Amino acid sequence: MLFRPDRRDFSLIGFYTGKVLFGVGVAMLIPAVMAVALGERNELYAFLLSAGLAISVGRATELLLYTRESLSTSHGLATVALSWLLAPIFAALPLLLSGHYASYLDAYFESMSGFATIGLTLANDLDHMARSVNLWRHLMQFIGGQGIVVVVLTILASAGGRIGYLYTGEGREEKILPNVIRTSRFIWRVALIYSLIGTTLLWIAVIGAGLQPLTALYHGANLFMAAFDTGGFATQSSSVAFYRSVYVEAVLLPLMTAGAFSFALHYQLWLGRRSELVYNIETRTIATSTLVMFAILAVGLARTGTFTEPGVMMRQGFFQVVSAHTTTGLATVPGRLYVTDWGVLAPAVLVTAMAFGGMAGSTAGGIKAMRIGLILKGVIRDVRKVLLPEDAIVVTTFHSSTRKMLTENQLRAAATVLLLWLVLYFGGGLIGLFYGYELQLSLFESTAAASSGGLSVGLVRPALEWPLKVVYIAQMMIGRLEFIAVFALLGYLLAIVRGRV
Amino acid sequence: MSTPVGRRPIPRRRVAAAALGLAAFLAAVVAAGEALRHPHTPVSDIPEAQLAGADPRDELVCPDPQPREGQRRTPDIEGTAPVRVTSNDLFDCPEAYDGRRVVYRGEVVGALLERAVGVWSQLNDDVYAELLGPLPAHRDYRGGNAGVGVLLPHGAVDLVSFIGGPQTRGDVLEVVGTFHRVDPTGEVAVIHADGAQRMADGEPFPDPPLADRRLAAWLAVIVALALVTIERVVALRR
Repeated sequence: MLFRPDRRDFSLIGFYTGKVLFGVGVAMLIPAVMAVALGERNELYAFLLSAGLAISVGRATELLLYTRESLSTSHGLATVALSWLLAPIFAALPLLLSGHYASYLDAYFESMSGFATIGLTLANDLDHMARSVNLWRHLMQFIGGQGIVVVVLTILASAGGRIGYLYTGEGREEKILPNVIRTSRFIWRVALIYSLIGTTLLWIAVIGAGLQPLTALYHGANLFMAAFDTGGFATQSSSVAFYRSVYVEAVLLPLMTAGAFSFALHYQLWLGRRSELVYNIETRTIATSTLVMFAILAVGLARTGTFTEPGVMMRQGFFQVVSAHTTTGLATVPGRLYVTDWGVLAPAVLVTAMAFGGMAGSTAGGIKAMRIGLILKGVIRDVRKVLLPEDAIVVTTFHSSTRKMLTENQLRAAATVLLLWLVLYFGGGLIGLFYGYELQLSLFESTAAASSGGLSVGLVRPALEWPLKVVYIAQMMIGRLEFIAVFALLGYLLAIVRGRV
Repeated sequence: MSTPVGRRPIPRRRVAAAALGLAAFLAAVVAAGEALRHPHTPVSDIPEAQLAGADPRDELVCPDPQPREGQRRTPDIEGTAPVRVTSNDLFDCPEAYDGRRVVYRGEVVGALLERAVGVWSQLNDDVYAELLGPLPAHRDYRGGNAGVGVLLPHGAVDLVSFIGGPQTRGDVLEVVGTFHRVDPTGEVAVIHADGAQRMADGEPFPDPPLADRRLAAWLAVIVALALVTIERVVALRR
């Protein structure tokens, strides 16, 4: 039974959405400072304008819709979905004003791709883009990877324990610490420590690649945000290939992997429980999956004669598999070559890797290793049931921080979400077919958008048909929020129209 | 099931009005963005055919036919005379040009990376390199960048005065060398250049400050500061 929303519902959702917009506005002051330092005056004005608008709207909303009420699950989910819809509108403004985007739709696409850590880009002439604007693209990934709602609300903390449902709405199910605020602040602490270490290592590697120290720092910081937040944007159009450096790639590999680890796993490692790496169902699933996929990719590339040297296969092939599986989307190979030089099997492996994705509760997207692992365990359990005597009791457990029993509800939930993901992947692929793109290309790009994989075969480009851009934007948002928050918002909209009084 | 106590739903008309108001505000934000863009006319007098970018639906036309997976590929290398290529040619038909001597022309962008074996560069041959010039000096949007990694000999670095980047158009070099689908160091789809010559000079390109954008920015800042102050005062009184 749906009840029509009342003033309290609108106040709650609007109040917290306003806080998020305020936070996004404040974040835009960071690239504004860079614009000042580099003398990028028009970009400075763009950031001040955008930040001013977002801050104004945020604060005005908080003033008009102030409430002390507590959030319920549905409020939290709807707030998250609405924030993710509205924040890119303001974040897109400096992109549009940079002069590198043909339309507001393209700029909005880029913003959503940034916040959702996808990595698909509609930028024109990226290689001449202002540095402050490029920094903003990467900063959106950093903010989005940590969850923009959680980011803002933990820093602003006045929401207190009421933000628990907002945390869940952003696709994070596991509370690491008893209090959600503490969990969110732990997430930030991990991110900042990795930032320090990762940026330093990348800075050194990029200097070694041949860049000047100050420029290398800029590249290193942006590369870190792209890798750890599994975002995939790059400062240069040739992506990681620009650096021509095995050392840069070697630093990026563990950073991408760390980004695909759940923050619950990071917490376990923080506490010194390194055995979690070995016993955790998700690490096992991802490790096994990565190795199997790399093996199949290697077979595919060997058949096409693309890479024949083991060292090159390891360097290029393994990097691409990890980039896809962690849904980062950084590339050492021009995307066009996936179509013209990698045959059919190898790109199919990349699509599958992106579709699988990283761990639940990480910055990565995709179906998630937890669900894949649980479903596989369920299949094994069912096979065992068949093979064992009828009165045998089969108990299946899995390890995730602690040992847990596999229940029917968990299996059903995992299977349901898996089905939703497949519908999302294939739905976007079908629409690509409608516009005359080949199945291989349509499915690749649709999976990249929905799973936040971000690798591209060239279908996503500024000349892409605008309905497809809208479809991919929807896929990015639905995939990032893992369906439920979007359903909650749609539920509220339906309740407005059809709800009971 | 009865309505929960205390619920007073807002009439649909008021919800619709609020939604329309929100939509109008967002439309105003978009309109303001459009109005404050760089004041260039989005028109190009360069023929469309010359600017056609890679469309994934375009059929590949390669010097050698693309074999099916698993079949051996035997590129037909006609003599050693270098053939003029674009980045599209090389990426559409990498096997056909693998090991061939090519002539390639493009704008130096990003950085020159000195190594023991040579100097890595990225040469872009997209429309922004020579035909249209870099953004945002115009509003003729023709897609992303296209270019190839080129390993230049050490001496070629002296040819380069400008490297393309923010507010700079890079020198345009023409190189002659060998295209490698995979080079001995493991780099993919690159040219090892024997020699290079500078065909066009780069230059800084101006992006003069836009007065209307500056005014709008300061207005937005003033309004934001005012609202933040009001919110703080109201919060303290609560």
